[in-house]
Amino acid sequence: MKSWVLILIACLAGSTSALAAPSAEEILAASDAIRNPSKPFSVMVTLTEFQAGKQVDTSTLTSYSRTQQQGGQFSSLLRFVLPARDAGKLMLKNGNEMWFYDPTSKASVRLSPQQRLLGQASNGDVATVNLAKDYKATLVGEEDIQDGERKVRKAYKLSLTASMPDVTYASIEMWVDAENSRPIKARFYAESSRLLKTVYYRRFQSQLGAERPTESVIIDGLNPQSVTLMRFSDYSARNIPDSWMQRDFLPHFQPE
Amino acid sequence: MTGIARAVLGAFITIALTQGSPAFAADVESDALSLESSPGVAPAEGIQSTKLFVEGALGNATQRYGRGSRDLSRLSLDFSHNARLGPGLRAFISDRLDQIHPREPAGADETVNSLREAYLSWQPEGGTSVVAVGRINLRYGPGYGFNPTDFFRDGSLRALTTADPFALRENRLGSVMLRAQHLWTDGSLSVALSPKLANRPSMDGWSLDLGSTNNRDRALVALGTQFSQSVSSQLLLYKEDGLSPALGANVTALLSDAAVAHLEWSRSKEPDLLSRALAQPATNERRNRFVSGLTYTTLSKLSITGEYQYNGFGLDQANWAALGASPSAQLAYLSEALRRQDLAPRQAYLIYVTQKNFGLKDLDLTGYVRFNPGDHSRLAWLELRRHWPSFDLTFQLQKNMGRPASEFGVLPDRNIMQILGTYYF
Repeated sequence: MKSWVLILIACLAGSTSALAAPSAEEILAASDAIRNPSKPFSVMVTLTEFQAGKQVDTSTLTSYSRTQQQGGQFSSLLRFVLPARDAGKLMLKNGNEMWFYDPTSKASVRLSPQQRLLGQASNGDVATVNLAKDYKATLVGEEDIQDGERKVRKAYKLSLTASMPDVTYASIEMWVDAENSRPIKARFYAESSRLLKTVYYRRFQSQLGAERPTESVIIDGLNPQSVTLMRFSDYSARNIPDSWMQRDFLPHFQPE
Repeated sequence: MTGIARAVLGAFITIALTQGSPAFAADVESDALSLESSPGVAPAEGIQSTKLFVEGALGNATQRYGRGSRDLSRLSLDFSHNARLGPGLRAFISDRLDQIHPREPAGADETVNSLREAYLSWQPEGGTSVVAVGRINLRYGPGYGFNPTDFFRDGSLRALTTADPFALRENRLGSVMLRAQHLWTDGSLSVALSPKLANRPSMDGWSLDLGSTNNRDRALVALGTQFSQSVSSQLLLYKEDGLSPALGANVTALLSDAAVAHLEWSRSKEPDLLSRALAQPATNERRNRFVSGLTYTTLSKLSITGEYQYNGFGLDQANWAALGASPSAQLAYLSEALRRQDLAPRQAYLIYVTQKNFGLKDLDLTGYVRFNPGDHSRLAWLELRRHWPSFDLTFQLQKNMGRPASEFGVLPDRNIMQILGTYYF
């Protein structure tokens, strides 16, 4: 009799652990996988900038991304399409390694992370990056939160602290849909705890085998009247060798 | 109140409002969610592979030696295009047509066409190798104002349209060559072979001017290595007909979130620059060229680069001063240094500054000062560029400062002012 009771307790314990909430790392990894396809891909990115609700600028670029063979972080090659003055210019980002290439002057210039913050390219950090590789996640709790479509969602709230040196953001607060692991909202902080950006991920559509956000609303932390919308379209699987993601390939980069 | 002051005040008010009122911040977020993206019509593939702009410039130069001033004008058409001919096979063409008034040297064609590039490129399946043949603009070196490892730099400038060292490179001619490159993760190996095709440069405005870029047989091997995300280098071995092989190396390093360093060095055995300029007989000597610099970017989007430049083949101050007895010889020397894209003095310093959104959104400030420590002469250059979606309006100011026989004091132009309009199609 006693042994039957023990077996029953063991089964109950097993089923309880099977139903337990996933770990913070698992939630973050699942959310990363929704934002970023696992295979090399390209996507057209349209950036629209607003000041106090008024559109002040727009630009378009194509992002070619793949996971690095070492480290698992994303490498991205951004090719500017519009405005016309910037057409054909390239930006390569391998973690903290960043190069800007101008095909007219043939100049490859290494940029520092602070220079990266100069342009719209900084917004790529909140779009194509594997957060689970660079941050340690802690589950803060569950919250009801308004998503980018103004619907209330039950979400896991994660607190992310940088586990790798030289990352752009010292800490991140992130809300992930408890039902389907979709990223809903994130707040990105500097080391001084200053809020740098608030981002909503929205307009989920089926792209490259998963429901992915096709628009990010990025609100400047210092000046919340400054808002950038990043729209992602034309996802496409690509052959992007690892060897392309280096300075010496930039003069030859011509996607088929 | 200036634009900068207004921007700072606006930022303080915004911070005060947002820090003091969470409800206000929530409202702002709610407002942001009601915004809609621009339709963002992506250009057709054909438009993406073509770049075309026209640029007009009007200016005035005040001159030394009681020469008064002279008006300057330029109209330029700049075109580049690449076309896919088959799997992995592409054709590239890049051309620029300048109408420059007045033209230097006097008597040269005022209409100058520069076929900068025209080549075929083939990437076999897999994409880890590239072979290209034709006129190719091959450029190496991370230096801002001087590039010792840019071995194909000499004779490449057909028309001088700016004093900005970065923009200057946009007009340079490529050399006819066969080039192959193989890439692997974190590295690459390149070989370039450039044959002699003509004897001397052409003054004809419509010439391909192969005599400027292919007047001797040349070869270059370059090994690129990415040591880490923070450090990368290129090692170069260069050989040209009649001279011993030259060695070169350059390194860039990310020092912190805000700082990038660059180093560039080459060592070769060749005649000194004065002998070349005055066509004097000379023995070849083995000397160094060297550049080191640091770029720091502040949180307020200001990037400052400081650079030290050294040319063992350039004149030291004593010999430059001795040349001062003949201003025409000094000017010939400077002209040859410019033609070869070489550093004229033995040593120089460069401070290069860029500020995006200078007080106004879409207003960029770029400026530099080049300082010759030997004779204390300076060249200062400033550009303000305002962007619109398809149009740039630019103001440029250049000042050449120094004693009469100094590097920048001997130049006839004292101040140059220009207004430029650029339309991008």
